[in-house]
Amino acid sequence: MRTKIIWLASVLALASLVCTAMPASKAADSNSNNNSALLNQNSEDIAVMRVEGERRFKSNCGRCHAAPHKFPPRMMATIVRHMRVRATITDEDRRLILLYMTQ
Amino acid sequence: MKLSSFNFIDRPQLHVLQWLALVLLSVGVVSAAGAQSSDGERPVPILTGNAGYFTFVNGGQVELNPQFNPVLLLPLGDKWLIESRGSFEGDFERKNDGSGPYGGMVEKEIDYLQADYIANRYVTFTAGRFLTPFGMYNERMYPIWIRDLQTVPLIFGLNQESSNGVMMRGGFSLNSKVNLNYATYFSTFSTIHKFESDRIAGFRVGVFLPGPRIEVGGSWRKELQEDRPNAFGFHFAWQPLAIPLNLRSEYARSDDGSGYWIEAAYRLSQVPFWQKAMRRTEIVGRAQQFFSTGLDADEAEEYGLPEASARQGDFGLNYYLHDGLKATASYGRQFSTIGNLNVWSVGIAYRFAIPLGKVGPQ
Repeated sequence: MRTKIIWLASVLALASLVCTAMPASKAADSNSNNNSALLNQNSEDIAVMRVEGERRFKSNCGRCHAAPHKFPPRMMATIVRHMRVRATITDEDRRLILLYMTQ
Repeated sequence: MKLSSFNFIDRPQLHVLQWLALVLLSVGVVSAAGAQSSDGERPVPILTGNAGYFTFVNGGQVELNPQFNPVLLLPLGDKWLIESRGSFEGDFERKNDGSGPYGGMVEKEIDYLQADYIANRYVTFTAGRFLTPFGMYNERMYPIWIRDLQTVPLIFGLNQESSNGVMMRGGFSLNSKVNLNYATYFSTFSTIHKFESDRIAGFRVGVFLPGPRIEVGGSWRKELQEDRPNAFGFHFAWQPLAIPLNLRSEYARSDDGSGYWIEAAYRLSQVPFWQKAMRRTEIVGRAQQFFSTGLDADEAEEYGLPEASARQGDFGLNYYLHDGLKATASYGRQFSTIGNLNVWSVGIAYRFAIPLGKVGPQ
């Protein structure tokens, strides 16, 4: 009986470790990828993304409310994360809207 | 080997272990599917929300309605968000059949207090007290600085405003023309003061077409207590590209009643004269109907529903004075089997956002 309890506890502990470790490593990878991708983008790419961000802003945010003024980038990062959850906007829309609202 | 073969564990413990294993497995699977990357900018905690002051006249009875609804947003790392909204709403009426001084209560509520974990592009896990995802009005259009008419739809009371429990939700692109969004949840029964909720489960699924800006969706909810009734609803929204029109509609049906509303809001920015004023002006119209299932007066008041079947037409005017500040007025006429009445409203709503940390230059 004791062996079974230890086995079950070990499985749960291992699962917890995997769950905790994976997002951290993934996030670290994606952060570095994201930064290098941004460095490689030229100003034309960013201008195109900004236009696309404005289009996504109008089609997503305009579904519920009038366009707000732009806030400082760190505030926009929080607001867009809030709207990602509240309005279930897609991750791609979130990125482009954040780019548009902070450029 | 099945978990049930562990006969040394009693049944409640087994259920807890099964649930725990399922949660851990789910988190592991969704984590493996890909974590969300950083926003680039480090988010800062924000105190936001809205404040407003409104006067309503319902069938000749004047009601003064000051409101303050603070929202706290606390981002943690790349994936977490703690968010909460409180509600302080005054409801003051003249005493002594309208001849005395104004008096009343200030209702205090916690609408939501939730922890969100954005696992990946497909799934966000939420735990705590959250707005019940049924239709679109309660979650997205309820704040006073957002809603086009300050009077809520007649069917608003058919929804459970808040739930306590867990939720999975998300939105993602199926292809370049179609976005899918969903929310599924379980709420436990609670009688804790300010955290009341029913034992319910449900889901909502919606499709958004970004090209024509059309959104359609459906919701279902089942109470897991008493008579275990079902409720379902549909929602629709359309913002045509050619004109600044916002068209929205909801239908809901439950044991307490059924009904629909359809609302159109048109910004006068294309009117060729008085441009400065017109682009800040919005006209709104709403038609709605409620079909009662025979709730008595006390139940109807408790749920915030009309006492009898009713239909109502509303016309409103909004003027956007400044970013987040709008003046609003409306008139409606309600036709009901227990009497017709006029519904007037006038007021002002303001949305604020204050960073709770250094934000640097804008």
